[in-house]
Amino acid sequence: MNSILRTASLTIGYDKDIVSNINLEAVPGRILTLIGPNGCGKSTFLKTLTGQLAARGGIIYLDGKELGRLKATEIAKQLSMVMTTVVKPELMTCREVVSTGRYPYTGMLGILSEHDRQVIEDTLTMTETRDIADKLFMSISDGQKQRVMLARAICQEPDILILDEPTSYLDIKYKLDILTRIKKLINDRNIAVIMSLHELDIAMKISDTVAAIGKGRVLKCGSPEDVFKESFIRALYGIENADLSLIGTMPWYADKHTKEDAAISESSLHADKSSDFHLSGTNYPGKGRARAIMIQGTMSNAGKSLIAAGLCRIFADDGYRVAPFKSQNMALNSYITADGGEMGRAQVVQAQCARREPDVSMNPVLLKPNDDRTSQVIVNGKVTGNMSASEYFRYKKELKPVIKEAYEKLAEDNDIIVIEGAGSPVELNLNKDDIVNMGIAEMADAAVLLVGDIDRGGVFAQLIGTVDLLKASERERVKGLIVNKFRGDPSLFDDGIRLLKEKSGIDVLGVVPFMELNIEDEDSLSDKLYVNHSGVLDIAVIRLPHISNYTDFDIFGQLPATSVRYVRRADELSRNHVDSLSRVLFPAKNRPCGQDNRQIPDRAESEMKCSAGDPDIIIIPGSKNTFSDLKWLMDSGLADAIRSQAGKGTVIIGICGGYQMLGRKILTAGREIAGCETAEYETAECEYEERITKNTQGPAGLNLLPIDTVMEEDKVTTRFFGSITGATGVLESITGLTVEGYEIHMGRSVPYDEVCEFTSDGTGYCRGNIYGTYIHGFFDRREILAGILQSVGKARGITVDTGEIIDRAVYREQQYRKLASGLRESLDMNTIYNLL
Amino acid sequence: MIAVGITAGSVSISLSDISRIIAGKSDDVVSYNIIYNIRLPRVIAAVLLGGALALSGYLLQTFFHNPIAGPFVLGISSGAKLTVALTMIFLLSHGRNIGSAGMIISAFVGAMLAMSFVLIVSFRMKSMSILIVCGIMTGYICSAVTDLTVTFADDSNIVNLHNWSMGSLSGITMQDIKVIAAITFICLVSVIFIHKPIGAYRLGEAYAQNMGVNIKLLRIMLIILSSLLAATVTAFAGPISFVGIAVPHLVKGMTGTTSPPVMIPGCFLTGALITLFCDCIARTIFAPTEVSISSVTAVLLVPVVISMLLGKHGNERD
Repeated sequence: MNSILRTASLTIGYDKDIVSNINLEAVPGRILTLIGPNGCGKSTFLKTLTGQLAARGGIIYLDGKELGRLKATEIAKQLSMVMTTVVKPELMTCREVVSTGRYPYTGMLGILSEHDRQVIEDTLTMTETRDIADKLFMSISDGQKQRVMLARAICQEPDILILDEPTSYLDIKYKLDILTRIKKLINDRNIAVIMSLHELDIAMKISDTVAAIGKGRVLKCGSPEDVFKESFIRALYGIENADLSLIGTMPWYADKHTKEDAAISESSLHADKSSDFHLSGTNYPGKGRARAIMIQGTMSNAGKSLIAAGLCRIFADDGYRVAPFKSQNMALNSYITADGGEMGRAQVVQAQCARREPDVSMNPVLLKPNDDRTSQVIVNGKVTGNMSASEYFRYKKELKPVIKEAYEKLAEDNDIIVIEGAGSPVELNLNKDDIVNMGIAEMADAAVLLVGDIDRGGVFAQLIGTVDLLKASERERVKGLIVNKFRGDPSLFDDGIRLLKEKSGIDVLGVVPFMELNIEDEDSLSDKLYVNHSGVLDIAVIRLPHISNYTDFDIFGQLPATSVRYVRRADELSRNHVDSLSRVLFPAKNRPCGQDNRQIPDRAESEMKCSAGDPDIIIIPGSKNTFSDLKWLMDSGLADAIRSQAGKGTVIIGICGGYQMLGRKILTAGREIAGCETAEYETAECEYEERITKNTQGPAGLNLLPIDTVMEEDKVTTRFFGSITGATGVLESITGLTVEGYEIHMGRSVPYDEVCEFTSDGTGYCRGNIYGTYIHGFFDRREILAGILQSVGKARGITVDTGEIIDRAVYREQQYRKLASGLRESLDMNTIYNLL
Repeated sequence: MIAVGITAGSVSISLSDISRIIAGKSDDVVSYNIIYNIRLPRVIAAVLLGGALALSGYLLQTFFHNPIAGPFVLGISSGAKLTVALTMIFLLSHGRNIGSAGMIISAFVGAMLAMSFVLIVSFRMKSMSILIVCGIMTGYICSAVTDLTVTFADDSNIVNLHNWSMGSLSGITMQDIKVIAAITFICLVSVIFIHKPIGAYRLGEAYAQNMGVNIKLLRIMLIILSSLLAATVTAFAGPISFVGIAVPHLVKGMTGTTSPPVMIPGCFLTGALITLFCDCIARTIFAPTEVSISSVTAVLLVPVVISMLLGKHGNERD
């Protein structure tokens, strides 16, 4: 079905955003109804569609063309409307009012042609307004007025009709009258209708599609059956306990889920729109400037991010409007927001916990290390350049106002801001011009909670030492201590709590148990990369020195039926290798040994029986520094090992940087090298190649896919929504599946030989069992992952049970809930609320 | 009416004499001068300026969706008066005379200044009464400043200035008529050309835009044309009150429609007629002394405005 009107990431509002990221479409012959509480932005949305209000972001397409670029009369010929506001035209007859619908069709002097008159008369007949046509508009009843206004809109002969609460103020007779006419109109003329309605019973009956707007976004969009579930409607309008039957017997579509499940299925429906919907009511304490609480740690990885995330969820669950904030992040792993900004993953997790759309103001500064010396500096989501540590240290001062502005923006719009510190607040040599820890606490006037990690030992030294090293004024800000990652019975630590209080003079607000969570990580120092799991299907991820976006593989962690290993050396690639770090043994592979793979054999047995086995899937991940990682791959011998695996038919998947490495060459554009003669290979192959070989040079890749990559200056950062267009080889069966994810890269890869498009829009190609794509988050959809594992399993003669895989979004939500409930049990939330 | 206008006056000249004079067959030089240089220009001026004033009022009422908007009420005439007075005094004190072009330009500047003040208020306050109060206040301030400057400007022309600032059609020459006619004609034609969007604008901005009206352009046109018309009137005749407000209502009442193809010529002609009529009264009622034309228009037209307001409120109560 072709939509006549479509919005792409539309953001609407007057002085500030009311609803953001609206992606809706209107289809000819169908009714799209908007529902939602008063003031949720329904009318604002319609006003934006009709051009009365400028969009604050995103694009509206009318019949495939951008609305903003069309002439007013062109729009008028396609789109007409009936608004709620009652017009009071003086001394105009109804016929005159209806005639104004011909405005876009008449000439300069507005003289009605024979055809125009015919249309007007036809419309009057159709809407049965002929008998009142010569009465004054002001003298007829409200119901008749509405009918005349509808006639006027029809007279404009639109393809799409926009109606803002067309049945308000009308008695039941006229309600019925208007709705019948609208229905008839759709049947007769096949026009599309977008309308807002307050009457849910009507909305449920008349709509083809219903979009529920609330909490600043489109919470749900689907058939009436999908949307009109009692629990959802209660939550949407914030009706907790009222008896719905008072407003009539609503034939609600049965609730199949419990409340909790509803939340999950919802978030999975709109995984990427982060529509995790808040069900526990809307008791916002009055708007205004937000109160702030800041989580600082005694060191990196003390668990600040997760505690902040958990607090975000707890506050959100308790009905507050919460946003996370971290002034500066240093991480390779970034996230692309709906409007194309780049920010750290940790704040994305926290935003999701707070049930908010991630926004770059939650993490205004992001540093992505290129190598040991320099980092890419990203400010407010946009790359500003590469800097060395000392350069950045000098530049830092200029960032203060940027950070402050970002914070103020959040503070204005929220009840509580959960701020995360970075590293330790007492890195004494670096504390000048602090913009990450106490400096921010000062700025936001935040109560500080200090987190120590007992798992690594020395928690007393960590906490008391840190408190000791703080300046007196800073020490006053620390309102509580948290002991994190405690294993075992927390009551055993009662003495410890007393001692900490005694020595530091600060209350211990909780001993948080070590929680087994699988929530995406940010810092590349995380233990995860060093620990290998055991499993059945063996997936080897090449651990590039500058690996980026490794959350791409988080979803594998759900699977007991797979093992994901991060491989650093050529000899690690074969799976009988005993990982020196984790001492975890990998299970035998059934092909050589003939064992049942689903049972993890014990160590001794497998050691004896198993010989060298090949991994089932090799994944080359994205890289922050493709050139240097490619060189590393070559030097470490991994390149040869991968090539030899490719020779054996092992499935190899390259993501982004890894995809580029799979190609023949990576070239830097713009470096002028004269003449075709300098090209290393034949210039006749294709025109494109001729062009790039003329003026470029670069390192050779693994040469497994017939593509060449040209590095370009411009960075592509965009969300992706497409499909697998044509998988070859083992993965053939996943062809046609939907792919959702995002792209962040600076190169462009073009095939020079016969090759199959793997992911749509040329974002990836494949040949044989070698697959490459630019799409991060490629594995996140259940169908894709299950499809890949089953295909590979089938090729290997193993049945893989993928029943346990759930969509990332659903899985994520479970993890968040686990985290929040764990924290709620272990933290003294009353005291924390009092701090606010 | 035109005939009455020409006939009536301090010196009585018979109708047959007049027809002979106009036909160019008379030798009576005094009568000729009275007719050609005093009465005829005055009559033509009354027609053109009255029409301009009524049209300006109609445009302003359209613009503000407000039935009691008018150049005088909104202070636009007074703004124009102030700048004209200032320019006049400035130029006179430098020994120069103000030409008709200078008059119009300075009046237009004043009109636009007053208009922009009113616009700023109207964007902040949607209330009709506040808008009007602001307009009247602006009018008073401008008048006060004008009076002040007049008081302190010691020049024999002050008498003229005073006369002018009271509002009078006397002293307009055939030369002035040409300028007035040109500007009024241009404005009238422009208004005729935007009658289509004006018609659509009656349903309110939102619907007009939905019909494909370029709202911004229309608003700018309305402001410029109404200011220009009001400025022209003020420049030559001083502020003439109430014609701008009352005439559109009279026309609406007489024709029973608000359709622009009726309203535009209707307002112009009725405005012309009423001004002519009022001018006749002004110069004959206490002849040979002239009454200010504003006094006459006020007496005659204020009841119209009041009855209109009463009717309006009566309607709203339904």
